[in-house]
Amino acid sequence: MTDTPVIDTRQLVVRYSDKLAIDHLDLRLEPGSVHAIVGANGAGKSTLFRVLLGFQKPSLGSASILGCDSQSLSPADRGRIGFVNEEHTLPPWMAVRDVLHMQRRHYARWNQAAYDEVSGHYNIVPKQKVGQLSRGERAGLNLALALAQSPELLILDEPTLGLDVVAKRAFLESMLYSQERENCTVVYCSHQMDEVERVADNLVIMERGALRHVSPPEEFCARVACWIAEMPFRGPDPALIPGLLRTHRIDGLHHYLVFDQGDSFAAFLREHGARSIERMPVGLDSAINGFLSRHHAMPKAA
Amino acid sequence: MTRVRPLALQIAPGDARPISKQIVDAVRLKIATAELKAGDQLPSVRGLAQQLTVNPNTVAKAYAELSAEGWLEARQGLGLYVAAPRQRLSEDERERRMEEAVARFVHEVAALGFTPAEALGRLDIALRVLGPRKSA
Repeated sequence: MTDTPVIDTRQLVVRYSDKLAIDHLDLRLEPGSVHAIVGANGAGKSTLFRVLLGFQKPSLGSASILGCDSQSLSPADRGRIGFVNEEHTLPPWMAVRDVLHMQRRHYARWNQAAYDEVSGHYNIVPKQKVGQLSRGERAGLNLALALAQSPELLILDEPTLGLDVVAKRAFLESMLYSQERENCTVVYCSHQMDEVERVADNLVIMERGALRHVSPPEEFCARVACWIAEMPFRGPDPALIPGLLRTHRIDGLHHYLVFDQGDSFAAFLREHGARSIERMPVGLDSAINGFLSRHHAMPKAA
Repeated sequence: MTRVRPLALQIAPGDARPISKQIVDAVRLKIATAELKAGDQLPSVRGLAQQLTVNPNTVAKAYAELSAEGWLEARQGLGLYVAAPRQRLSEDERERRMEEAVARFVHEVAALGFTPAEALGRLDIALRVLGPRKSA
């Protein structure tokens, strides 16, 4: 595999009437890793996937996928990309067997062993209609079909949404340890941070259609910290607090979740009359939560 | 033929430590408490990743850190083993552990109501036992 980014967008804009679903997005994702895209609802993740897969035209800018312009993908290019979305959309009236035959004909590099390996985790009967499968079974079927394409890039849009713990685990295992994964880049989007932490090499945070952060998850976590201080009165004006993501007042103590603040933050708090100061690391879930709630960082003063 | 020692460890969701750090800490603790002994073989990267349902790169990173610190050693083509405890910890790590141990001791003693002088005296006697032995 070359070092061409698997996904490369330049000043990409998608506008829905007055709203920017994608706001001048410059995103480059390297091959070979598991990239997790995280963002609030409406952050533009699904729109981005639609543009990348050529289902939707950008309003401005460009998007390429595996080095090809996403607006002119050939069937052969599409064969290199596996896609699983949260709806697990396959025609409900088709029998599993027929879907399988259809897919096998479509993809030149079909790998039956991969299909069998992944679908073996689920109780899928070939004669069954897709509409009769449970959500988890459809998820498994979709992933099995996508991996059997021998894709170079696998795009998963909230694939484990609504799956029970067993189905979820089977899905993650297939995704992470399947032999077919070795040379495949995964771009994955989820709201489940424990899952993201387990699977992602690289964390991409989007907000309101724009790119907010890219780094390995643990590096992101290390930049967020929670400071708990005993402050007289209300403490400093939130607008003056450097790097503030979120503030809470609990039992008279001020909790400040801040981004990229070193020991100077303790000095800042002391300057504002803090009596006791404690610094706490935070987990990925709280870190991302705080990061995304930054624009609501100012609750009305108590 | 050495057999792989099972690694009974848990990844805690919501733990502020990154997963690779949780693995590093757990393995170190097992070595320190002799649950893992020198020469024991560790699970493969892929095996442990599968056991914990985490990305194999995360396990690889933890193993790399443990190897760099001298807790584990690779044997060509065979896998990773717990190293003989001759390696010294890094200066920072010794410092950190010392601080931790002192803090633990102080917290215990504070609750018992001994004066600092009494506590120091007892500690002094206890430490004499270590006296002539070389530090590990």
